[in-house]
Amino acid sequence: MNNWQTLSILMLLVSIFLTCERPLAEIPDETVGMAPVYYEGDWQTIQVLGAQPISRLHKIYYKDGYIFAGETSKGIHIIDNQDPTNPQKIKFIQIIGNSDIAIKGSLLYANNLNDLVVLDISDLEHISVRHRLENAFPQGTLITPPNYNGFFECPDPAMGQIQGWVEQTIQKPQCWQ
Amino acid sequence: MSKYSLFLITLLTFFAVACEESAADIALATPGQSSSTGTGGSLARFTIKGDFLYTVDAQNLNVFNISSPDETIPVATVQAGFGVETIYPLENFLYLGTQNGMLIFQVGADGIPALIGNYNHITSCDPVVSDGHFAYVTLRVSECQEAAFGAANTLDVLDVSDPTQPNLLSSYPMDSPYGLGLDENILFVCEGERGFKVMEVSDPQNIVLLQQITSVNAIDVITLDGLLLVIGPDAVVEYDYSDIHNIQKLSEIAIGE
Repeated sequence: MNNWQTLSILMLLVSIFLTCERPLAEIPDETVGMAPVYYEGDWQTIQVLGAQPISRLHKIYYKDGYIFAGETSKGIHIIDNQDPTNPQKIKFIQIIGNSDIAIKGSLLYANNLNDLVVLDISDLEHISVRHRLENAFPQGTLITPPNYNGFFECPDPAMGQIQGWVEQTIQKPQCWQ
Repeated sequence: MSKYSLFLITLLTFFAVACEESAADIALATPGQSSSTGTGGSLARFTIKGDFLYTVDAQNLNVFNISSPDETIPVATVQAGFGVETIYPLENFLYLGTQNGMLIFQVGADGIPALIGNYNHITSCDPVVSDGHFAYVTLRVSECQEAAFGAANTLDVLDVSDPTQPNLLSSYPMDSPYGLGLDENILFVCEGERGFKVMEVSDPQNIVLLQQITSVNAIDVITLDGLLLVIGPDAVVEYDYSDIHNIQKLSEIAIGE
């Protein structure tokens, strides 16, 4: 075999590897997969309500005699715990898509979907938004459906923030994982 | 000025100071009373250290400068691997629980963390707590869709006295461990619907189960020097553990309330 033949075979092999690098899934016309659910309306409005019933808690935070109990994706119960034998829910801060908080001094840092909101809690009767950092968490966990392998409808950033994912019939899905 | 007016001024000053103090006392009854940071559970994904807020997303450790109350400035995004679940601060270190292991970052004077040590384990769900000498990591398979075949429910104890070389000391079988909390030699481990375990950990090679409280669905805990806050999906329950052999339930706020 001369050098040219060797080179040609090498190039052929390389080109095969290059084309095989990203194996394309066969895209079905229609299949059952996951589709994003977008938040409609004004998800950025932070509302402070009176005590609300607990439905599904997930996180806990404590500061200076107060418990902050996270209600999954909905907001935060503020519990006056100065008497641990008689804790009292006193406020509910409604923050759509909230999963985490941290507090320094009288400022509470929380995610509002993929935004970071900073609330002044120095006066619990007048909790206010001090400032907001939009899209602070662009790598939000909901960009792809969690714990799922298969086809899904590609998220459309123009549609806004993703609230969650639902299984449904999707046409010609262009995304999969 | 007469002696009398000097006395009056002194008296007024005294009252002014005294009034200021009582006003400050009233203002103390708010969650913002101290300038310090609060305390999160072991499942936290946000933590504050000095002028910086650290958050984790699936792959990254994000750093924000929060020195100004009117502006939050993103300063760095540090890659942290795969499936980052929790962040736990201790002194100048940040311990990250990820699906493949525990990572230790050291925070520099500029607030930027650098990876200095890691402990790899089989893929599962796992928060971490530490006292600087030992780190306690729970590995959970139950209700953990990411868990690899062959993974088990365990509590792993690591020697982290050299944070660059975390070293597995011992491993204990668990039921379905979630969050955990450490107060000196006492470790509380949440077991989901099976409640939580109270363990004596003064000898990491021989951890002793003191008690398992099963009357609560426990996902995460905070230890507050004798007061234990337990959170589950449907309740916040408080216990007095100042006498570790006689833990008393103090209160409960439950679902629907």
